[in-house]
Amino acid sequence: MSVSEKPRFIAQESLIGTRVTKMDAPEKIEGKTRYIHDISLPGQLHAKILRSGRVHARILSIDTRAARALPGVHAVITAADVPDQRPIGVVRDHLPLKGDRVRSLRDEIAAVAADTEEIAAQALSLIEVEYEDLPLLANPEDSQKPGAPVLHDDHPDNVAMRFEYSHGDVRAGEAESDVVLEDTFKLHYVTHCCMGVSGIIVEFDASGSLLMYSNTQVPFLHKREFADYLGMDPSRVRIIQPPIGGGFGSKLDIYPFEVICVFLARAAKRPVKLLFTREEEFLASPTRQPVLLTLRSGCKKDGTLTFRQVHTLHDNGAYTSWGATTPFVMMQTFSSLYRVPHCDYHTVAVYTNNPYAGSFRGYGNLQATFAIEQHMDMMAEAIGMEPLEFRLKNAQDAGEVTGQGMSFKSCGFKECLTTAAARSDYSRKRRENLEQRQSGGPVKRGIGMASMLHVGGGAKIYPSDGCGTILKLDDFAHVTLITGASEIGQGSETVLSQLVCEELGLPMSAVTVVNNDTAITPWDVGVHASRTTFIAGNSAIGAAKKAKVKILAAAAKKLECAEADLDLRGGWVIRAASGEALLDLPRLLRSLHFSDKAELVMTTFYYEPPSVHQDKAFKGDVSAAYAWATQVVEVEVDTETGIVRMNRVTAAHDVGRVLNRLGIEGQIEGGVVMGQGYALTENLLVEMGVMKNPNFRDYKLVTAPEIPEMDISFIESMDGEGPQGAKGVGEAPAICVAAATANAIYNATGVRMFDLPFTPERVYRALAGKSEKLCWKPE
Amino acid sequence: MSLMHDIDFTLNGVRRRATVRVDMSALDMLRETIGLTGTKYGCGEGECGACTIQVDGVSLNSCLMFAVDCHGRQVVTIEGLGADEASTRASALRDAFVEHGAVQCGFCTPGMMMQASHLLDRHPHADAESIKRGIEGNLCRCTGYKKIVDAIVAVGEGIAP
Amino acid sequence: MTEIERYYAPASLEQAVDCLQEAGGVTVLAGGTDLMPQKNAGRLKPQRTLMNIRGIAELRGVELSGGEIRIGALTTITDLLENPLVRQHLPQLIEACNHFASDQIRNVATLGGNICNASPAGDTLVPLLVLDARVDLVSRPEGRMLRRGLPVAEFFVGPGKTRKAPTELLAGVTIPLPPENYLGRFFKFGTRPALDIATISIGFGGILEGGVLSRVRVAFGAVAATPVRASHTEAALEGRPLTEATIAAAAAAARDEVTPIDDVRASAWYRKELIHNMTKRILDHVAHA
Ligand SMILES: Cc1cc2nc3c(=O)[nH]c(=O)nc-3n(C[C@H](O)[C@H](O)[C@H](O)COP(=O)(O)OP(=O)(O)OC[C@H]3O[C@@H](n4cnc5c(N)ncnc54)[C@H](O)[C@@H]3O)c2cc1C
Ligand code: FES
Ligand code: FES
Repeated sequence: MSVSEKPRFIAQESLIGTRVTKMDAPEKIEGKTRYIHDISLPGQLHAKILRSGRVHARILSIDTRAARALPGVHAVITAADVPDQRPIGVVRDHLPLKGDRVRSLRDEIAAVAADTEEIAAQALSLIEVEYEDLPLLANPEDSQKPGAPVLHDDHPDNVAMRFEYSHGDVRAGEAESDVVLEDTFKLHYVTHCCMGVSGIIVEFDASGSLLMYSNTQVPFLHKREFADYLGMDPSRVRIIQPPIGGGFGSKLDIYPFEVICVFLARAAKRPVKLLFTREEEFLASPTRQPVLLTLRSGCKKDGTLTFRQVHTLHDNGAYTSWGATTPFVMMQTFSSLYRVPHCDYHTVAVYTNNPYAGSFRGYGNLQATFAIEQHMDMMAEAIGMEPLEFRLKNAQDAGEVTGQGMSFKSCGFKECLTTAAARSDYSRKRRENLEQRQSGGPVKRGIGMASMLHVGGGAKIYPSDGCGTILKLDDFAHVTLITGASEIGQGSETVLSQLVCEELGLPMSAVTVVNNDTAITPWDVGVHASRTTFIAGNSAIGAAKKAKVKILAAAAKKLECAEADLDLRGGWVIRAASGEALLDLPRLLRSLHFSDKAELVMTTFYYEPPSVHQDKAFKGDVSAAYAWATQVVEVEVDTETGIVRMNRVTAAHDVGRVLNRLGIEGQIEGGVVMGQGYALTENLLVEMGVMKNPNFRDYKLVTAPEIPEMDISFIESMDGEGPQGAKGVGEAPAICVAAATANAIYNATGVRMFDLPFTPERVYRALAGKSEKLCWKPE
Repeated sequence: MSLMHDIDFTLNGVRRRATVRVDMSALDMLRETIGLTGTKYGCGEGECGACTIQVDGVSLNSCLMFAVDCHGRQVVTIEGLGADEASTRASALRDAFVEHGAVQCGFCTPGMMMQASHLLDRHPHADAESIKRGIEGNLCRCTGYKKIVDAIVAVGEGIAP
Repeated sequence: MTEIERYYAPASLEQAVDCLQEAGGVTVLAGGTDLMPQKNAGRLKPQRTLMNIRGIAELRGVELSGGEIRIGALTTITDLLENPLVRQHLPQLIEACNHFASDQIRNVATLGGNICNASPAGDTLVPLLVLDARVDLVSRPEGRMLRRGLPVAEFFVGPGKTRKAPTELLAGVTIPLPPENYLGRFFKFGTRPALDIATISIGFGGILEGGVLSRVRVAFGAVAATPVRASHTEAALEGRPLTEATIAAAAAAARDEVTPIDDVRASAWYRKELIHNMTKRILDHVAHA
């Protein structure tokens, strides 16, 4: 940036709220991005895992002799070969390699590392395992029956986790209610379907240090846990994260395949790469768990909510991962989306022989919102109130502290409601649709709304919810932003760069982001809870501010003026008041560097949000900010086939402030369509523990011709703590769609759908009055 | 091991030979035998489109194609898309994908690009509806497709970026 | 596991049928869109010889002669969609091709492959049934070309099973040119426009003159072990005025005569309901055409 003639004045230009293109897009478009699938290390072996194919069985014997004898095979391991393996998972109930008993179809029995994938596959086919089948638990209700088989000896009641939450006194609430409704809702299995299948590459160096190429969303937690499992010093575990082919919450836990690959690399003394096939990805990835949910709610005639009582039964599957902890989020929605004076919430997550439940974008909130937002419509109808008005009457406002202790410093909920309703012409269409229910042809139109609350400023679950940044300016005013925050395709590097550029008055082209190597990057808790923009954003701003202070101090000294009179803009130090360009920034940096008191501009910052841990009763202001949204869904229901077409989604999201319009639109569109899949097409069919459709042929993701028209509005509530006022939004857009669709189908047909998904046959059955009424209540 | 067979074909404008297993897919040949990793594996069953390439001017799923069937044909992968200078459309498409925000994790992107370029070759001014139909064989889990469709439409209308 | 011992890519029909005759144990490869996934899933055991017929130019294309449309076995679904003859005369086939797989697959999947794969849900099979198509089979016993034709309706014997002998190659299909006032309809049920295996499909063909139907053909896909002609439904329509009562009777006959199964995609009950409702809808449309 050596310019011969000084520009006299530099106009103020902000990147905030503009459409900034994604930094890594050009690489990806040309196919140059190296995902984990595309990386090969010299001398690398290929691994494959033998899975049980039995739902619940005792292992009588495993014979690996023929596999070990096959030429090209370098290592074969079973539980017997790794006596040092330890259980993984949230409650440590999951041994990576199973030695005596298998509890689900995907269970890992043995693994092979070989010269090629073909040889590894052939070796697997040579391993002989004898089983003795055991009685199985195919659904969560059965697991609670007396005499049910016990899946884990240390959980004799088959309960993996229990959650009890309460505020107020629901009995008192019920006593003052004019209307009380109780209904059971049933939610189905879905899975992430990241387009890039899971994989890992593991290598030990000569000193025994472990290097993993991994797609984890939580590298620093991973590093620590792997060290634990392997009895290693954590400082000898290094994780490199190549670009990832989709995350959506699927990579928050440690999975058996990762530990197994480490064992194989240790045994074979060579780098080992393991990639799933798509079928394996279906069989062995975590799921969004099925939930049976009974909701009792009440209100007064004037539309005031009185109480809410919730019981849920979660199918935890055979082992415990993050899925069991989704009640943390579900209870927030029940207790705090609307003002509810009295609320009780009870969850039991029980073991079954089904696929186990992980974390998935929305984290229990899709399930909770599905029930609540249908009940909101039903109660409104019962008291003869407009659904919109009923919601507005009970919606939260800024300044409120809920029964659960969540404190809403910024809250655009009511504006979300009115905006989405106005832009979709909700009230008029709803009335007109009611009129056409009886008349007209077989295709009925419907409109429905639903709203959501989700953490938008991190979530204090771990000892720290923070993120570190190292920021370095070189002699040419080029910034290297080293952040703990992983990029999972959501565009975090672009937003973080934008925030840094905004502080330092630099163009986007001046930034390189380093975010993929635990040996380099500072600590971060991981990509989850829609926290990255908020937490890592504040961290990046913190580091940039420190750099700016340093630069302006040097400039002020040189110019013999006050620091406060100066600013940075367009690669120059300028006079803040006039924009007059005073010093060329690269030159200033060089003069700092190549002086007697040689100095570089490098700063670090660690941001810890001002949120608190929940207490034992799950109360506390767990996030530094909360995100809100209302979505209105318009459908057409073909009553002769049961096909539901989603024609239009009107979404209004309180995002605090729009930082990158292009990026945030992409998050919302992608989330809406993921929600559409949850509502209409995706259904992981598990019968007696067996997955019936582990492929894209019968597990139907939404394809391009099916997407609705989308109208997106942003409510900018300018959160006081957020980076430039922004809040997290990553999970929000997927949450409301199913609930709003259910309300739309009711508006169209007068038939209420209590269970997902709304696939044609299920809708057709319901319209024909042939679906059974769900009714579940724990003893 | 399986029978090997020699083939001779043009890959991204360059004539070359390869020795491949007769039951191998073109996708495995590209990624493993030849080492071009821009073409992606998403399902191996023709359901996701991540492996889309162009052969003799039409798009197809390389995971369904036998590698031996490449013999004597013109194969273009993402690495060679628009390599010929005449192809201003390919570069317009690249710019449009960037400008319209059509890329998130990017895993579907090479396949989308190959399919989009084929669609525009066939129907230079395709509208949004026919483009949605045209990419119905390409799954994307991140974007919700809207920005991808917008990008392709824009190129067709000559207004991109 | 049989290993493939030979790969052969003949340039002419003679060479191809010679190979079938001599070698025995030949896997015929056309577009490969069924073959590859079936091989990978272990559902199909490759034979000793893999014969790629894609290079046989004479097996590709559409022509009209002597009041018949002949379609070569290697004609792709995209070829069919773009062919003026097919577009003009065979509306059901166009409709089926339009709802077939994805563009990438349509570009390589062949009509011959769809027929020989003999899936009960094969999308082109139902239109071929209602169009009275014949399959042309070629073999070369003792060095002389032997051609035989067979009505499509007799060709399929079960899922993946046909009357084609192992020594025979499917050369193509022949379809009598439908008359000017011919009406053809095809319906494939699915939530997506394409890239979906038919839950059920319905083909209809006939002539409507003075409100009366004649030369009626109705066929269903995915409701039996093979795609089937619906003789009771046809009888309920043939020679009758297309009134509401006729339509109701035909739809009821359709529901009664199909014998679908329960699978991951749908229950038998729902398939019967769809057959009823959609047969009715198609006939309503025809009545108003
Ligand atoms: C993702 C996906 C989606 C699909 N969607 C659809 C769909 O919507 N509708 C539908 O109907 N099908 C669908 N299919 C199935 C398949 O694409 C079709 O059946 C296609 O027409 C097969 O043609 P092909 O040329 O690829 O056949 P191939 O795979 O080459 O061959 C299929 C079979 O026919 C035999 N064969 C082929 N040609 C001849 C010949 N001339 N003589 C003798 N034998 C021959 C082969 O030996 C093999 O057994 C889909 C497949 C995939 C992978
Ligand atoms: S990998 Fe070929 S279509 Fe999915
Ligand atoms: S961008 Fe991730 S799958 Fe399309």
